Amino acid sequence: MSGPSSMRTPLERVRGLGSAHTGTSDFWRQRLTAVAMTLLIVPVIVVVIMLIGRNHAGAAQILGSIPIAIILLLFIVASTWHMKIGMQVVIEDYIHNEKLKIASVMANNFFCVAVALASIYAILKLSSGV
Amino acid sequence: MVEFALPKNSKISGGKTWPKPAGATETREFRVYRWNPDDGKNPSVDTYYVDTHDCGPMVLDGLIWIKNHVDPTLTFRRSCREGVCGSCAMNIDGQNTLACTKSMHDVGAGGAVKVNPLPHQPVVKDLVPDLTNFYAQYASIEPWLKTTTPTTAKGMEAEPRGPREARRSLRVHPVRLLLDLVPELLVEQRTLPRPRRLLQATRWVTDSRDEATGERLDNLEDPFRLYRCHTIMNCAKACPKGLNPSEAIAELKFKMVERQI
Repeated sequence: MSGPSSMRTPLERVRGLGSAHTGTSDFWRQRLTAVAMTLLIVPVIVVVIMLIGRNHAGAAQILGSIPIAIILLLFIVASTWHMKIGMQVVIEDYIHNEKLKIASVMANNFFCVAVALASIYAILKLSSGV
Repeated sequence: MVEFALPKNSKISGGKTWPKPAGATETREFRVYRWNPDDGKNPSVDTYYVDTHDCGPMVLDGLIWIKNHVDPTLTFRRSCREGVCGSCAMNIDGQNTLACTKSMHDVGAGGAVKVNPLPHQPVVKDLVPDLTNFYAQYASIEPWLKTTTPTTAKGMEAEPRGPREARRSLRVHPVRLLLDLVPELLVEQRTLPRPRRLLQATRWVTDSRDEATGERLDNLEDPFRLYRCHTIMNCAKACPKGLNPSEAIAELKFKMVERQI
C-alpha cells in the first residue's frame, strides 16, 4: 500500500498483470497423480517387502519381471510429478521475493527431474540384469 | 505467500490499563488493540473492565459500553448490530467474526476478550481497517450481469434455482470478515482471490442469464487467483451466515476442469 505502487489505483493493483490463464493443468495433474499413487501404493509396498533382505542378484531377478518393473516406473513418475507440483505450491506460498521464487521453482524442477531419472535408471538397470 | 513477522511500525508495545468501573459487581476484561495515526506511536493493547450487569451480552455491546463509559476515543465501525451489515467485522479471540453476533460468554472461557482489527489490512485507527483493497477486489470480479443478447422489456428470466443456489446468490455483506482469513491468501496486494470474491464470482459464473461465463472463468484461472485456495476451509468455519465459500470454489475448479478435460 506504500512505496512507488501507491500511485496506482486500487483496481489497477488488484488486476495487476492480469490472469495467467493457467493453473488448471497443474490442478488436474495433481489429482491425476494422487489417484495413480493410491492405486499403485499397495503393489509397490508388496514389491518393497519382497525385496527386503535380498542381494543384488535377487533384486535383479524380481525387477526382471516386466509388470513389477512397470509398476515401479509408473510409481516413480507419478510420485515425482506430484512432488514437483506440491513443492511448487509451497514455494509460491512462502517465498516473497520474485527472483528467489523463480530460482526456487527452477531448483525444484531440477531436483524432481534428477530424482525421477536416477530412480528410473536404477530400475531399468536392475531389471535388464546388467 | 505468508508474512511471519509484523513490520517494525506495526509491532505492539505497552498499553494502558483502565480502572475497573466503580460499584460494578461483575466485570469482564477486554484487551483492545489501539492505534492512533496522529501520535506517531506503535500500536498498543489497552485493558478495560466492562460492567457486565450494565451492558448487553455481545462483544459489540461491551465495546459500545467502553466507548460510552470509559474511553470515548475508542474507534470501531458498527451499524445494524444484528449480523447483516458486516460493519463490525473484527478479530475476536483470534477469529475473524462479527462483534455484534459474538457473545462475550462464548469467548475465551471467562478470560479476557481479545479484540483486534481484521488482520493484514492497513489500519485507519484502532479497530477500523482500510477496506480500499477489499472493494477493489470486489470490483475486479465485475459483479453485474453481462449479456450480448439484447434484453426485452420483460427482462430475462433466470432458471429456477434450488434453495442452495438461491442462498448462495444472496448478497451477504458480512463476508468482508473473510478478508485475509486464509494465510495462503496473505500475498502481495496484486491478485488476491479472497474466499468472498470467489464466492461472489461463483454467483455470476452460475447465473443462467449471464453470457460471460467463459470470460469470468478466464479471469479467475491463475495460480495466484483461484488456485491459491488450498481448501483449508477457514472461510466456511468463519462465515456467520453458514455459507460455504469452499464449496463454491470447488465448483469453480470443477468448471475449469470440465472445460479443459
